[in-house]
Amino acid sequence: MNELEQAGLARLRDGWISGGAAFEFAPAEWKEVAAAANPDEQERRLLAIAAQALDVALRPAAPKTLKRRPPLPLLALPMLPERLRPSLRAALKYAADARLKTRVATLVASRGFVLHPMDWMPAVTDQESPDVYAPWVDWQAGAEGEKRSGREQLTAETWDDFYPAARRIALIDLRRTRPALARTLIETKGTSEPAEVRLPLVELMRFGLGTDDVPFLKSLSADRSGKVREMAGRLLARLGERGNPTDGGLENPIAELAAFIEEGKSGFIRRRTTYAPTKTKSPAQQARRADLFASCYFGDLVAHFGKTESDFIGAWQFGVDDNADLFLVRMVSASGGDAAVACLADLLVAAGGRLALLVLQLMLRLDGGRKRLLIRQILNDAQNLAALTQVEGAEAGWLEWGDLTSGKTLSALRAAVSGDNDIMKRSAEQYLETMGFLATAATAEKLIGEVVAAGLPPASPSLGLLRLNAALAQNQSHR
Amino acid sequence: MQLDLKTIEALAPDQASLGAAAKLTKRSNWPRLEAHEQLPLIWGECQGSGSNPYRVAFDTSDHGYKCTCPSRKFPCKHILALAWIGATAPDSFARVDQTPDWVNDWLGRRRKPGQPPAQAPARSEGKSIDEASRPEEIAPVEDAAAAERREAAQRKRAEDTRSAVSAALDELDQWIADQLRLGLAGFVNASSERCRRIAARLVDLKATTLAGRIDELPARLMALRGEERPDAAIRELGKLVLLGKAWRAAPDDAELKRLVSTSETRDQILADPDAVQVESDWEVLGEKIETRRDGLVSHATWLLDLGSPTPRFALLLDFFPASAGRRSGAFAPGDRFKARLVFYPSRNPLRALVAERLGDASPGAWPAFAGGAETDPLAAYSVFQDKTPWLSDCPLILPAGVIALDERDGAWWQAANDPHGIALPVAGSVNQTLLGLDLAATAALWNGARLELLASQSSMGRLDLS
Repeated sequence: MNELEQAGLARLRDGWISGGAAFEFAPAEWKEVAAAANPDEQERRLLAIAAQALDVALRPAAPKTLKRRPPLPLLALPMLPERLRPSLRAALKYAADARLKTRVATLVASRGFVLHPMDWMPAVTDQESPDVYAPWVDWQAGAEGEKRSGREQLTAETWDDFYPAARRIALIDLRRTRPALARTLIETKGTSEPAEVRLPLVELMRFGLGTDDVPFLKSLSADRSGKVREMAGRLLARLGERGNPTDGGLENPIAELAAFIEEGKSGFIRRRTTYAPTKTKSPAQQARRADLFASCYFGDLVAHFGKTESDFIGAWQFGVDDNADLFLVRMVSASGGDAAVACLADLLVAAGGRLALLVLQLMLRLDGGRKRLLIRQILNDAQNLAALTQVEGAEAGWLEWGDLTSGKTLSALRAAVSGDNDIMKRSAEQYLETMGFLATAATAEKLIGEVVAAGLPPASPSLGLLRLNAALAQNQSHR
Repeated sequence: MQLDLKTIEALAPDQASLGAAAKLTKRSNWPRLEAHEQLPLIWGECQGSGSNPYRVAFDTSDHGYKCTCPSRKFPCKHILALAWIGATAPDSFARVDQTPDWVNDWLGRRRKPGQPPAQAPARSEGKSIDEASRPEEIAPVEDAAAAERREAAQRKRAEDTRSAVSAALDELDQWIADQLRLGLAGFVNASSERCRRIAARLVDLKATTLAGRIDELPARLMALRGEERPDAAIRELGKLVLLGKAWRAAPDDAELKRLVSTSETRDQILADPDAVQVESDWEVLGEKIETRRDGLVSHATWLLDLGSPTPRFALLLDFFPASAGRRSGAFAPGDRFKARLVFYPSRNPLRALVAERLGDASPGAWPAFAGGAETDPLAAYSVFQDKTPWLSDCPLILPAGVIALDERDGAWWQAANDPHGIALPVAGSVNQTLLGLDLAATAALWNGARLELLASQSSMGRLDLS
């Protein structure tokens, strides 16, 4: 289309938009084609020509600034084979929320694959997805261009070459292998960062925390941010450094908290000290006690009673006041030493029942082995299977068939899926999904057979993760 | 399989259903019949009146069933026919140990599996398998005079229809002239009401397909940005003018009749010796399911011919009432199969029927098509418009490209090696992940204003974008 025609088309267009005859505005060649007896027909003919001109002769004008995103980075693991993607999508579809979807990705990563980005992408804020996805988290966060090569080491010089998620993963790795180097990096690079970046950096000190970290953490007592000071104080408390927080008032909060705890004696022959919560007299007192448990450090509390952390835990009378038990466990989780956390977890798991579920409050501090113990305990009881879904950071793909058959879980599942109680059935389907994550491939396969034999439809969506789990093993053997 | 004819008789909603089912028990109607080795399940694909086969599944233990046909009879004739074959010719079913995904989907959604068999309308009174199996009585031979009368009546009806359609097009012409006189700015704002009125007139005058198209015009306009709507109105109305003129020039042209008044039946297409037939490997590119203002749901399934040197597409188009609820399609995007397709006669053969399914085709990347898309991504669109200027949606294979965003976060497809500054705006919003993927080739529909993405080939495999 030449310029005259374009100008004519623009005039015609303007004429038709406002209404009325537009024949006179048309280019001369178009007028010849559109000439007709009646004016309406002339307009229609011009309309047909204009429609074709708009369709074929004019191409859509590209905006001057089209923003292209950098290519999605390739990840360190291979993509899930195409033939497994339908099973994966079924498992993702059944996963009700982002946390459960991330769990599917974790299972797949544990078997050596990553998901197709059109099937699942970690969220920008996702810190639970497997480490292998860090480049995608950074890409989602708007990272422009590739920065880090896979083999590059995080140092002060390469600090800026890492995007935040990749840097976080690298720092965690460093804290586990060379904690002093990681500490130096956090110390030197963190000071110039704003508080919202400094806080998560200091939080990473919890990995590989040791006495060498004390001077640095103490230096943070003068940090500009209250949250950073509080985080450093808790980490110091875990190392046995006394904090003595003052609660902003003149009173001694440790003494105030201790007043809510009653020291007693038990045993006839070998007398031993016990600690039990006193009965609170009002909701205000209950609230104050909760605040004190949340703000004081465990080390300071046990020092007040002249005990070690483990002795105090051993002497605590669980079951007297459920709320006080919960507050104490949270306190240990926040500021207790590693030994105290392990001691408390072992004690609670051994106690079983409802008390074992308190271990869920310690999840961030527990190693994989103790998490497995807790899960086995839950399965053994089969009373609180719903707690399985709350076990944070559990490893994927380790649950053996014996773990299911030794307790009451399998029979409970069979009864639920074969029964008429829809609520029980739905709950059982949720447990099956969790077991799809925890189970080994062989266990997954067997479990599918068991519940299908018990009456669950073979194509029940709740079996999606179990099926994917089993299929992943078959695929590994094909590789 | 534990099926007997008494059960089928009891399940049937009426004698007519049994009669219809009896006709479908011929093996040739079923390109696929399978039974599970362990589970009490049979399923199959039945060639019905739609453009693609219906998927039918039956649980022989509790008599649960599923069919993708739009029938409002439950169970439909396809279910009854499948069960009938299961009862009388179980060897017709291939034994397999895995259920296809669509059967799995159905099993997963079933409300109450594992219950005792549903005692469906358990009464057989008034229904008889024997009667349904009886060959239909041969119609008495028509005498010559009667045949002539019937043909004369047919000719008269065709003539009446042609006159009515001609009158409809006259009204449409006048209506278009009125819109130009009143101004397209006003038309765009009131298009819904104005289009509804003329569409109703066109239905009265037997131009039903054209009426449906005009009824959908407001939705097409509203999908665009405000500043684009007047141009889109010019394009849409101009195409209507062209279609009207083409029909007047050749009112018996099959394609134009289909676009203006009524379409041929499936049987007419299959019996048409001039209809183009293509036997090849096909990939399902994607689906487009739209609920229209006239209460029908149009279900378009786009196929790509993997054996053609230049891009060739096929469109399987079905309509069913929205009140029939959601209906699963016979194919899923990405499916590949061998089939013989018969195309509706057209200057640009696109709409087709699956005449014969010939098994599954092997997975893989798309072939490297010739066709000039590398130098001009819209070259195929120009050819399409030359042949059928009254149509809008043109399927394309775009060369290597990326998806980029404009300042308003609108998505554009842009050629990777873009010598001409060509970028095509993409309809709707896109999955943000797509912005980071290099698209080696993309199948899409271009309507002159927007690109509707169907599927892509990328370094990360096939991407389903529909």
